[in-house]
Amino acid sequence: MEEYDDREALLPGASGSPERPKMSAISDPNRLAHRIVVLCLMCFLGFGSYFCYDNPAALQTQVQLDMKVNTASFMQLYAFYSWPNVILCFFGGFLIDRVFGIRWGTIIFSLFVCVGQVIFAAGALFNAFWLMEAGRLVFGIGGESLAVAQNTYAVSWFKGKELNLVFGLQLSMARVGSTVNMNVMGLVYSRVKDLIGTTGHSTLGVTLMIGGITCLLSLVCAFVLGYLDRRAEKILNKEQGKTGEVIKLTDVKDFSLSLWLIFLVCVCYYVAVFPFIGLGKVFFIEKFNFSPVQAGAINSVVYIISAPLSPVFGFMVDRIGKNILWVMFAVVATLGAHIMLAFTFWNPWIAMSLLGVSYSLLACALWPMVAFVVPEHQLGTAYGFMQSIQNLGLAIIAIVSGIILDTSGYLFLEVFFSACLCLAIIAVVMLYFVNLIRGGDLNLSSWERARLQKEAEHEAQRERMRRDSIIWTAFAVRVRYLSRLGAQIPKHFISHQLSLSHRSVLK
Amino acid sequence: MLSMSAGLCVAVLCALTAGLGVRGEHAEYRRRASLESVPGEDTSMNILHIRAVDNSSTIHYVWSSIGAPAVLLVYTSSPSSQLNVNWTQLTSPTPYGAITIEPASSVLYSTALLFTRIFEYQDVNNTADFSGTPEKYFYPAYDLSEFSWDDANATVNASSLTANLTGRAESHSFQNGSLTFRISAYDGPGRDKVSPRLLHNANCSKFEFLLSQVKPRGNNSRFALEMVTLEKKAGRKSMQSVRSIDDEYTPTIFEVAQLVPHTPNSSHAQGYFQWKSVAYGSTSGKREDSLPCQHYILKSLNESVEFPSVVHAFFGEDLLETYNVEAFNVSFGIADGDFYDKYNFMSWSALIGYGTPPKDSFSILVISIMGVALGLPVLLLLLGAGVVLKLKNRVYSSYEPIN
Repeated sequence: MEEYDDREALLPGASGSPERPKMSAISDPNRLAHRIVVLCLMCFLGFGSYFCYDNPAALQTQVQLDMKVNTASFMQLYAFYSWPNVILCFFGGFLIDRVFGIRWGTIIFSLFVCVGQVIFAAGALFNAFWLMEAGRLVFGIGGESLAVAQNTYAVSWFKGKELNLVFGLQLSMARVGSTVNMNVMGLVYSRVKDLIGTTGHSTLGVTLMIGGITCLLSLVCAFVLGYLDRRAEKILNKEQGKTGEVIKLTDVKDFSLSLWLIFLVCVCYYVAVFPFIGLGKVFFIEKFNFSPVQAGAINSVVYIISAPLSPVFGFMVDRIGKNILWVMFAVVATLGAHIMLAFTFWNPWIAMSLLGVSYSLLACALWPMVAFVVPEHQLGTAYGFMQSIQNLGLAIIAIVSGIILDTSGYLFLEVFFSACLCLAIIAVVMLYFVNLIRGGDLNLSSWERARLQKEAEHEAQRERMRRDSIIWTAFAVRVRYLSRLGAQIPKHFISHQLSLSHRSVLK
Repeated sequence: MLSMSAGLCVAVLCALTAGLGVRGEHAEYRRRASLESVPGEDTSMNILHIRAVDNSSTIHYVWSSIGAPAVLLVYTSSPSSQLNVNWTQLTSPTPYGAITIEPASSVLYSTALLFTRIFEYQDVNNTADFSGTPEKYFYPAYDLSEFSWDDANATVNASSLTANLTGRAESHSFQNGSLTFRISAYDGPGRDKVSPRLLHNANCSKFEFLLSQVKPRGNNSRFALEMVTLEKKAGRKSMQSVRSIDDEYTPTIFEVAQLVPHTPNSSHAQGYFQWKSVAYGSTSGKREDSLPCQHYILKSLNESVEFPSVVHAFFGEDLLETYNVEAFNVSFGIADGDFYDKYNFMSWSALIGYGTPPKDSFSILVISIMGVALGLPVLLLLLGAGVVLKLKNRVYSSYEPIN
């Protein structure tokens, strides 16, 4: 409010909004067509990092043969990505809010991703595994923070519009990135092998360099997106809620109970999905007598399902609202899938498909909820924090579930995951009641949200009209001027209370 | 906050129930078990005898390394039945009747398990398809009847009820390596500490089949063990694969295989062999060293088999006329799994027993975690609904109309 007043000219009409030039739909930030362009850019912004993140998995045998490392060292490539992110995600959101702003933040993180991938590939070229690990570290610094930036962009462009759909699309793009990578990198490797003539670390290096092209693509997207965002800000006078405010680390203390519950759901849910998929292959081979190829297929079905379903669910949640109920439904369905896997011999395709569907549904309903409970200027921090503790949870639970599996087997592991999911259910139930008691808008249907938003807009418009309709006498201008200086003036001349006097409240 | 305390509750409850579970074992059925070596003339000819006695019956397990290693299982209705071995007759070309149980009338059931050959084949594509591998990839099988055996008497541990039958082939591969049957007897119910942590009771004994430091004869070698079993003509053994959802005790292994007699009109329980479908590449039985194994269908042997003398000594000359003799294989390793040469060691365990094969059930810990985990959200839902209802009522009642 203060800011608005500051920008307002002292004399009305002195600097009104300039006449907007007529623009075509594609270049008008107000229009859907333009937003779609922006959406595409946002999706490809993350494509590179998701593509390259799973490069090691796609080339596991090649990496292990060419670099002559065992599986434990190979897994270090993922660990080096994960560990720094526990802290960095948090700072990533922080840096976006405080230091770089969303645009430069995105560009810088994209640069990190690119440089990281190049170092990673160079490590293979020079046959230095430590360099590859270092590359993954740099890549990791950029990777997760880039995801935070991506989310923040999505919120700033699509909040109140197609936000759930956009989150869904971003998620499916991530999955497409992983899937394309899994299927393409092996082919690229064999092509490069044919070109060079031999296998070896240089073949691997060249292959990874080629994979790095996707990161360059993402970097280009970051630049274009930054340009478009600035342009939109100028044209729309879009408020940049992130700048100007000083956010302290202690802001975390001000996070509402609802937000913490959302974090809890997030951690408890994801630790019951990703570590399971990581350890799932052997489970399907041993318990269901699948061949390794079949087991690999069923293990990736969650990602394959979530790629096309995410945007559909995003759209659906946008239309219907009721986020908490969807989250609840998704968590319960996931629990059902885990119980099915643990206690029955039913065809695991049923359970895994259910898992895939509920996983996509949860992602579409859970992540956008953050935007409803956090003021806009803290969004980056909140999303960063969410991803940070998600990473922490995943890193810890990955280790824990490995230990559980080795000592107590899959049944116990599944029971453990079910317990995690039950904790998530408890959190959702509490979230539901907290929301109900405090009257939050997390569980409103979309038409209720639309009505509220319309009312708010209406209110704001009335406010503006009222302000415009005040006859700007010289006296009024002077009063306003004095009030700016901080001089004492009689209460009934204070302009922002004038509007209140029209309401029945003060009468 | 509430969820944290809920988590704490879960932990406390688990600890409690786990503690209860340990103390709450049923009254245990026990037998007096003993394991001893039957002294003979030649130290390489071993006969190990396990007796497990209760008030009304005795189970005899007779292990022998004369010829192919074999174990006889004899169930008698007398608590004082004795094993008699006539060594001179046993080592003669006609050993029939050299091994007897006195009184003979007390013998209710008898069977045998023979370990005849070890196959080794080259698994070129890492498919672990033992039965589908072409003949040319097989190395000459090791015939266990040609092995020479160490003196088992020195390995008998009467208090822990264990003994080892260790032997080796006249082959380069066995220069530093050996094959061992580690035999354990049990006097009560329990579970081994090391994987596969088979559940056992007083009515069974266990053997571990150990190949250690045996050099594989090529790259990608896999092994398989051939065994022969017999059953009175009225019935025959059948192979059962019991798939369990519970792998708590043997992580990642969901299959229990058992060989049980299928005898119609049988008035009493019978002998069984039971094993989990896994072998290990180390003595510690860690999961990452597991070599899952597969078993194959029983095949009837009609032509004359070269039985080790103990089998003829106990079951008589006309063995094939009164008994169904069947052979089966167990192969070690699965597709895309590790080969033997990664460890140069392999251990596989199985139970031999009388009665109903033991069956794993959920641990109390699992049941209680599931109970608490599923119960808490429901409880919270009810509680929350109550609170909300109450709050709503209060909210409405506290707002009095302004006028």
